[in-house]
Amino acid sequence: MTSQNYAELCTLLVEDSFGELFGRIFATLQRYDRLNLPRLKFYSRLTDRQLHHGLAAMIQQNLVFHYTSYDDGVTYYEANQRAAYYLTRSGKILEFIEGRLGQYAATLMSAIMYLGHASVSHLETLPELRPEPPQTNGINGEHEHEHEEDEANGEHEDQANGIDGEHALSEQPYLLHPTLKTLAAHGYILRVREAHFQSYTDTVLDAERVVTARPDIKSMKGKKLEEAVFEKTLEIVKEKTDGDLSHGLKHNGVPRGAKRGRGAAQPNESKVQTEQADVDEDGEEDEEENEWSDDEMGNDTVPMEAGSGLVVRVNYEKLDVALRNCRFIGLAEQDSSSVTAEVYESLLRRIEYQTPRCRDTVEIPREGEEGEQYSVPIPLSAIAEDVDQQLDLSGSIGPMDISQPFSGRGKRPLEDGVNGTSHEGTNGLSSGASRTYELDQHLSLLAQPPHNLTSKRVVGGLITWTVEYRHVARTLRHLELEKMIEARYGDVALRVVRVLHAKGKLDEKRLQEISLLPFKDLRQVLATMQTGGFVDLQEVPRDAQRQPSRTIFLWFYDPDRVASSVLEDVYKAMSRCLQRLKFERSRLREFLEKTERSDVKGNEEQYLSEGELKMLEQWKAKEALLFGEVSRLDNMVAVFRDY
Amino acid sequence: MSVTELASKLYDACLSNFPSDHLFYQQDLLGLGIVPKNDLPLLLQCTQSLVDQKLFRLLAGKNDRLAWKLISREDADKLQNLSPDESLVYNVIHSTGRSGIWVRAIQTRTNLHKSILDRCLKSLEGKNYIKSVHNVKFPSRKMYMLAGLAPSEDVTGGAWFTDGVLDANFINSVAGYIEYTVSRKSWYEVPSADGPGKKRLKTGAGSVAVKQESGEKQYLPFPAGYQGYPTASMITAAVNESGITPVRLGEESIVQLLQMLCFDNKLIALSNGEVYKSVKHPEAVKAAQARKPGGEDADEVDYLVKNGMTEAPCGQCPVFRLCAPGGAVSPETCDYFDPWLEKALGF
Repeated sequence: MTSQNYAELCTLLVEDSFGELFGRIFATLQRYDRLNLPRLKFYSRLTDRQLHHGLAAMIQQNLVFHYTSYDDGVTYYEANQRAAYYLTRSGKILEFIEGRLGQYAATLMSAIMYLGHASVSHLETLPELRPEPPQTNGINGEHEHEHEEDEANGEHEDQANGIDGEHALSEQPYLLHPTLKTLAAHGYILRVREAHFQSYTDTVLDAERVVTARPDIKSMKGKKLEEAVFEKTLEIVKEKTDGDLSHGLKHNGVPRGAKRGRGAAQPNESKVQTEQADVDEDGEEDEEENEWSDDEMGNDTVPMEAGSGLVVRVNYEKLDVALRNCRFIGLAEQDSSSVTAEVYESLLRRIEYQTPRCRDTVEIPREGEEGEQYSVPIPLSAIAEDVDQQLDLSGSIGPMDISQPFSGRGKRPLEDGVNGTSHEGTNGLSSGASRTYELDQHLSLLAQPPHNLTSKRVVGGLITWTVEYRHVARTLRHLELEKMIEARYGDVALRVVRVLHAKGKLDEKRLQEISLLPFKDLRQVLATMQTGGFVDLQEVPRDAQRQPSRTIFLWFYDPDRVASSVLEDVYKAMSRCLQRLKFERSRLREFLEKTERSDVKGNEEQYLSEGELKMLEQWKAKEALLFGEVSRLDNMVAVFRDY
Repeated sequence: MSVTELASKLYDACLSNFPSDHLFYQQDLLGLGIVPKNDLPLLLQCTQSLVDQKLFRLLAGKNDRLAWKLISREDADKLQNLSPDESLVYNVIHSTGRSGIWVRAIQTRTNLHKSILDRCLKSLEGKNYIKSVHNVKFPSRKMYMLAGLAPSEDVTGGAWFTDGVLDANFINSVAGYIEYTVSRKSWYEVPSADGPGKKRLKTGAGSVAVKQESGEKQYLPFPAGYQGYPTASMITAAVNESGITPVRLGEESIVQLLQMLCFDNKLIALSNGEVYKSVKHPEAVKAAQARKPGGEDADEVDYLVKNGMTEAPCGQCPVFRLCAPGGAVSPETCDYFDPWLEKALGF
């Protein structure tokens, strides 16, 4: 199933973040797939002690699935490549959380990420999650853990922290619980279930076993049996893996603590808006009768769950949805005004709250074989509520009719927009209807070709807007491929590929007629692209002899095929960047060891010469660049694989 | 009345009563009432005499019936001077009309020896009765058609071909013109601050107004459903009026070009290709076009937007497939990383 490149990359990522022991175990598990402990020990050539410690920690990080079979009682271990891969996306996720929910939320998130999964009571004890005085804003403050890894980014002062911790004890859960609730309401974290520690297939098999053992199922036969088993299995799997915490934390479809509009970007806003919540002990089914007050409490200090026995982890699936939305907004920004993009963002955010994952199928469906899948429709009025009231909606769309003077368009002439606040009173409230109309205009603009970023639906007389996710995701995919083609083969190639994509398989003559390119250029470009694997040739013989002269040659461009091969290349390129980084590090080993000495660290200015300081700076830039490149490549992986 | 006289009378009657390219059947000729008593043998004699004089061309009509077509007297004079072989060849070439005929096809149809055929063609060409044409689809084939005819679109490849070769310069200049024209109509130009709006701006002066004034022209998109985007026929008219084309371009040719521009990501077809809208606004189009002749510096800016793969050295690496840790090509020995890092970091 997994490719060599992907496995290589995952091992590198694990090694890079957690050190060689983890890397060794992970690589072994990847190479031999499922192993029990003796076999694992044999193949990895590690001591019992190392293996036990490593495996325990890796299970904590969810890097390894384990499963104890009912039949023979043997525990098998299996590598979790997804989790390993998501290591590379962690930076992006934290950045996103910081932008959306403030710095504290990001710190909390990074703590959860760092621990793999964490119980709320443990989070309460972490020093960096206690309210800190503003001067020590250590972002990566998770250093009291004595894992041997990650020394690179530690700028944490131990003494300062100890003092802070004691000082803060009294108001300990000050921000933690509201923030946890906010994260949970957004769906960014979820409850850890037992099933999360075994691979999906194991869960399914288990469920199937349970289902088939049921007496009512046993009596069925044939196709009916299959269907029933399939259905019931899905049900059980869903129940077992469902760790949704947002239930009961949403208010009219908007998570508590969600900020509205742009103006509310201050981090402390989140705690103000967070409403009091009394999540039930088990927090799952019986939320309905749990009534919580609507009034906004000043400081919500009610713990996340009464017993604090809750264990949480990061919900990567949901975060992929959020990151995908960011990409869509980027797409919208490319060819429309920032105002339009902001309106789009409001729509997408509303949709995000109700979208648990990017798509329902595991594999990316083949081009042309996936149906239209619309997101939840969002009523226009809800978007109107969310969009920043200060946002000037009218100034960025032209008039319907060019002969009309623009300023005479009635509702809101441009000059008013330019003049800003003077008219605000009038249009803030009274022109609510026209504002909605303008919003609609912006959304209609987005619905236009070429990207069709939105689509309008009228449900029961109510105007709603949706996003055809599959379509836009496909567009993103094509754009990435086109970028590569343009960069490698030039704009002529881009034209040819787009023609082939739109028209299907074409022979050379027809292709020339449509693309209006001289034969010579066309052939050259097609040939180089064929070598690169971007287009290919199909032979259709006209008779059984298959003579070339009696054969029709058709060029075609298959985005699925290209995307999957490019994806492999991207994995490989990511590995190469990481490997190069390792190599660069080994080149500077002695110097770097010096900078990481405990006395030098933090006092670089004092101990290092000017040349060394410069070298350190260069090294840091280099490291940042290579990591940045990996993250950019990850953007492509996300587009090709996850969206 | 001799057969010849009767024949010439018949010819004149045909000429005056029917259009010149009419296909005559027996009934048509009898219906003219020239041949007495519908005397069929006599009619046959007359038509044979006309055919001999090259005034009639003998054809096989529907259901293998005999049919004739008129040949003008001038052409007939021409044909009279031809040798039998030449006239055979001429007729074959004539029959293919504006699409022309390949030399090899003439040979198979006439069954003439190659040397004779060559001589015929040479003499016909010398007399300026036929001309050789260049076919886009089969550039290597030698083709002939009557000298007086203009080659059809199939042969020339349409308006975008000059002498059977795609005229890239011509296409680019027309395409550039179209893109600019369309873009002017698909973006709303905010009236500049010097216009009538100036006074109002002055009174309500804010920092925003100043910013707008100092910047370049501002363009706004039209709302969805805007009706003012140009159609293909409007664009065709504009191109023909502009004087950048020596010949009048047909709408199909322009549509062809418009589609190409769509594939180039320059235009967007709206409402099923009826109207077109440009991606960039006029200033950007102008800037992009001005940059083009400059050459090398253009390509950096013109790329869609870069992505991870196009930036990383691996994305451009010619031996990427061979690269493996510990191999002959490996990340440790890579020659591309260092220059790339240096370039990106500037040291």
